[in-house]
Amino acid sequence: MPPDPMMNFLARCLRPLACLAVIAGALAAPAEPARQILVRAALSDDAAQQRELITSLTGRADAALVALLEAWRTDALFRYAPAEGTALVVQLTGPKDDEGRQAAVRIDTGAALVDAAGQPLKLAAGDLKAVEHTTSLRRAMKAVADLADLADPDPARRFKAVQTIGQAQDAAKLAPLQARLEVETDAGVRRVLREAIALVQLKDPQDATRIAALGTLKELHTLASTDFIKRALKEAEEARNQPVLTAAREALRAVENHRSFVDFFGTLFRGVSLGSILLVAALGLAITFGLMRVINMAHGEMIAVGAYTTYLVQNVFGTGITLPFFGLSLGLPGLDLTGGAYQTYFLFALPCSFLAAALVGIGLERSVIRFLYRRPLESLLATWGVSLVLQQAFRLMFGANNVQVSSPVYLSGNWTVNDIIFGWNRVFVVGFAILIVFGMWLVLTKTPLGLLIRASMQNRTMASCMGVRTERVNMLTFGLGSGLAGLAGAFLSQIGNVGPSLGQGYIIDSFMVVVVGGVGSIGGTILSAFGIGGIDQVLQQYLPVVAPGLGWVPGIGGFLQNLAQDAAVFGKILVLAGIILFLQWRPAGLFVTRSRSLED
Amino acid sequence: MIKHISSLLGAGALALGASLGSARAADTVKVGVLHSLSGTMAISETSLRDILLFTFDEINAKGGVLGKKIEPVVVDGASNWPLFAEKAKQLLEQDKVAVTFGCWTSVSRKSVLPVYEKNNGLLFYPVQYEGEEESQNVAYTAEAVNQQATPAVDYYLAEGKKKFYLLGSDYVYPQTTNLVLLEYLLSKGVKLENIGGGFRRDGAGKIISAGKYTPFGHTDYQQIVAEIKQFAASGDACVISTLNGDTNVPFFKEYAASGLTAETCPVVSFSISEDEFRGLPAKQLVGQLGCWTYFQSIDTPANKKFVADFQAWLKKTTVPGIVKEGRVTCSPMVLSYVGVYLWKAAVEKAGSFDVDKVRAAWKSGLSFNGPGGKVTTQPNMHLTKNVFIGETKADGQFKIVKTFNNVYGEPWLKGKFK
Repeated sequence: MPPDPMMNFLARCLRPLACLAVIAGALAAPAEPARQILVRAALSDDAAQQRELITSLTGRADAALVALLEAWRTDALFRYAPAEGTALVVQLTGPKDDEGRQAAVRIDTGAALVDAAGQPLKLAAGDLKAVEHTTSLRRAMKAVADLADLADPDPARRFKAVQTIGQAQDAAKLAPLQARLEVETDAGVRRVLREAIALVQLKDPQDATRIAALGTLKELHTLASTDFIKRALKEAEEARNQPVLTAAREALRAVENHRSFVDFFGTLFRGVSLGSILLVAALGLAITFGLMRVINMAHGEMIAVGAYTTYLVQNVFGTGITLPFFGLSLGLPGLDLTGGAYQTYFLFALPCSFLAAALVGIGLERSVIRFLYRRPLESLLATWGVSLVLQQAFRLMFGANNVQVSSPVYLSGNWTVNDIIFGWNRVFVVGFAILIVFGMWLVLTKTPLGLLIRASMQNRTMASCMGVRTERVNMLTFGLGSGLAGLAGAFLSQIGNVGPSLGQGYIIDSFMVVVVGGVGSIGGTILSAFGIGGIDQVLQQYLPVVAPGLGWVPGIGGFLQNLAQDAAVFGKILVLAGIILFLQWRPAGLFVTRSRSLED
Repeated sequence: MIKHISSLLGAGALALGASLGSARAADTVKVGVLHSLSGTMAISETSLRDILLFTFDEINAKGGVLGKKIEPVVVDGASNWPLFAEKAKQLLEQDKVAVTFGCWTSVSRKSVLPVYEKNNGLLFYPVQYEGEEESQNVAYTAEAVNQQATPAVDYYLAEGKKKFYLLGSDYVYPQTTNLVLLEYLLSKGVKLENIGGGFRRDGAGKIISAGKYTPFGHTDYQQIVAEIKQFAASGDACVISTLNGDTNVPFFKEYAASGLTAETCPVVSFSISEDEFRGLPAKQLVGQLGCWTYFQSIDTPANKKFVADFQAWLKKTTVPGIVKEGRVTCSPMVLSYVGVYLWKAAVEKAGSFDVDKVRAAWKSGLSFNGPGGKVTTQPNMHLTKNVFIGETKADGQFKIVKTFNNVYGEPWLKGKFK
């Protein structure tokens, strides 16, 4: 055996001793300012010692120290090694000069950093190394900061702090929590304070206190308290403590009721959101396939064109991008925007995606599809070929790997109402789906173009006889359908992958939605998108609830019980099976469009 | 490099190939490279082809193996598992390679295994796998489950985590790994109700599968993330993810959008290395964990030299189809690299290219100081190596937060933790 394990072992044995020495030191000299402890922790190389030092700050943290901890966690504390003497920890403040340097403040004294001559020293963040931190150290910092955060002016911070303290169930923290409840005015924080106090009280030896705490938890019925109530219930069961047991059962029932409420509305929202995605993806196809009867296998690639356009716009707003373009190198200069201006890229990406996909669609219509209007099978093969060509073009231009599209800030948060999560990206998709459906309805029914489109699609020959330039209408209609697919791509880039095969993932779903809805019926497409999305989510949510109770079915009981595990897959299979049965019953879909045209 | 065209020609071509082979035999030794250079796995596997070619050049520049230059025979498995077996057969029976470096997915390994066992060939396998296998014809430089999954659990337990949610792609590696993890968690005193993702039981009620699984290409993670959110509501929870490939993108986007963070409920992913990071939304992954036996950020002179040498080689190589920009190094690449050097050491110790002698040399315990630290061969065909846990940074690199030194590779873990 090599010698290093032995050394490791020794080091491991000595480490607790070193920590003890540190703690003893801290006890013997309580006067050491909190800032200096922080500096020692920042300069230490030993993770365990760092944690001990930070934890020793508990209860001593004021707002200034919390700000320093926050600075550490966000890489704003720097290690500075002067030419002579020991290393220091500094923070940079004030405006940057031409060379990017700022005034530095010593953390241990709080005074400005000076050189040997007593002149203020300026440093650049780029030349310095940020003080490092790990998850466990951040947790220790958080515990210290949380207690100090109880008095923070920001309710959101107070909320988080209270929650963490409550879940630690530390009896020593009861007093500060109760003191805070006396003065707290924010309703949300009051609620979580009551929960936290009740959680800590669950550990109380007195039955009466525990029962009262369970009563509070029953009244609050928060999801976060589930595990703690369950634990209390189990303890009461083991101790055969009937009054506590009853209280715990009631509290648990209240929480479970709340959970089924959350699950129900959560599922509803998820169904609507999935339905919106299906709708947005299928709407373009509802026009190119539904109205124009072109079996458009390249629809998925129109979606991908939109997604890649979003990627390009994002890069143009950032640092620019260089693409290999069939042997040439195509450079797009960047606007080098940052912050809020950069975040608006997505709003610009929407019209760009629409236009790019519409142009590709018009090109496709002019070059291939217009020769195949009356030959659906050939159009299927031709568009499939086009889809392969486009996929390869994506690979050549953007590489075979997926590209990164970052979500703008306003699309990456969520609202949580009564424990039901509404992701902003999802809400945005739902709102957007409504908008484009409305927009399409306006175009098709209230504009001259819409009238021409409807006339040409219902009876191409007759429209032509009446003087409608059907060639041009066809081109514009196909462009509109492709543009809508491009818009879908912009949205899907916020939810999933952007890669050369992006379109393949949506083409089946899109056709499914259009066929079930009834080819040619926009209303049917909308209904079927929400129907399929909703059923899929309901099955995913409730299969695991129902399946375990199916053990009694002879022969396949075990199989059915295990379905709970495959809810994500099996939900989809059930939906597909349902669609097959549905189409047996109604081959033309939900809404049958009747046409007087002799073509059909 | 000699370009080989897969041949379905017949005995004549076979004989020709053999005679060509013997003509060169004096000064070179043929070495097979069996990776997918096309199809879905090409994104990951071409990096291994690149690093292998780099390693061969490096060794050849220093005089080769036993005085013979390495002559690579690169074949394309094309992400097609039966084709892997055919190509393996071609390498062994037609090209008579001394050793093969190859395979990524477990199913490709299982597919070529009978070919190597029948012909007594030797395959070096470099990618983290599920264990429960110990062929005498495979040198597993890969991470065994106890060199990746169980150290990650140890780390979580030390961090005070009490609830574990298991999530993976639906195939053999995640399924087997999660079953081992289930046993391991239970042996560490984690209660069954604190293990999330659900269980599948056989008729007698015995658990035959643990965790939540989604198919390749799954995009809708709303419901699963909502479930994790409820699971983590009471605190001290974490997620162990064996999700593969690009399903990670919709998962992490949904995860971040629901308000879950690395501080409230961290995710450790076993399939995301530096190389996979090139197509992932870095911002959404910051602070999440990875666990491998190598990270590019390892701060040692050996690793820095390795990374610099590889970048320099990329600049000057003339092999067609090698991406030169934005390249990184990752654990499967380094395990391929150390595999070649260990094979060289074994051949030199045995004084022969004969598979039986090389295997005996391997079993005697050879060491090599690689970019990830010292690795040592074991009698059970696996490797002892260091295990690192890293936190993801915004630039797609990992910041190492924990190191486990000299972990013995143990393939048979099912039923071991009681």
